[in-house]
Amino acid sequence: MMTDARPEPADRTPTSNPVLKRALAWGGVLAAVILVVSAVLGYVFAGMPGLWGGLIGTLMAVVFMGITAGSILVANRFAGSDLFVGIFFGIVLGGWLLKFVLFIVLVFVLRGASWLDPMVVFLSLVAGVIASLVVDVLVVAKSRLPYASDVELPKAPEDE
Amino acid sequence: MDATTVLAEINGHIASVGYGLAAIGPAIGVGIVVGKTIEGVARQPELAGRLQVLMWIGIAFTEALAFVGIAVAFIPFP
Repeated sequence: MMTDARPEPADRTPTSNPVLKRALAWGGVLAAVILVVSAVLGYVFAGMPGLWGGLIGTLMAVVFMGITAGSILVANRFAGSDLFVGIFFGIVLGGWLLKFVLFIVLVFVLRGASWLDPMVVFLSLVAGVIASLVVDVLVVAKSRLPYASDVELPKAPEDE
Repeated sequence: MDATTVLAEINGHIASVGYGLAAIGPAIGVGIVVGKTIEGVARQPELAGRLQVLMWIGIAFTEALAFVGIAVAFIPFP
């Protein structure tokens, strides 16, 4: 009887997934902190419009910075596919383009709004962007990735 | 009206010119980051995981410039 000698198809999920998940989690924690701080500071300096500005600015920064990691995680679900590289860059760069279109639309919609303070939005957005960069760098610096990551050794043959 | 006055006359919103300038750098940067990642993965597919993390942090830093550039529209100019 002929047996299929080829090994089982290995799990080809790239090893970057845990790092990205950790970055998203820590980014969320820090976002909550900055959300509170910028809302309080906005309220102190500009009243209710400042509070809304702080909330919206921080949320925009964190959500839009997190979309990159999220899109890589989504794209890695197709790791077993033959077209993985194409699908991966399609999803990641497509998400990037979509994100910027959304961002510009939001800027145009929110710029004329009288119920939020634009300067507070700008400052909290910059604070959120810088904070999420800091989180990203810390997570990557502390992460351990095996050098030859996505290699799976063939399994030992089983006795019949 | 002398030549200087004519050249200095701009119609429309000057912030859109600023956005165009702010988009040039990140566009080139992300193009290089992603292109080099494709090269690396094509050369050594087993390093895809490591390269993805490096690509992600490269994109994050590059796009931060674009975000700040677009967000400048929020600064209230007199």
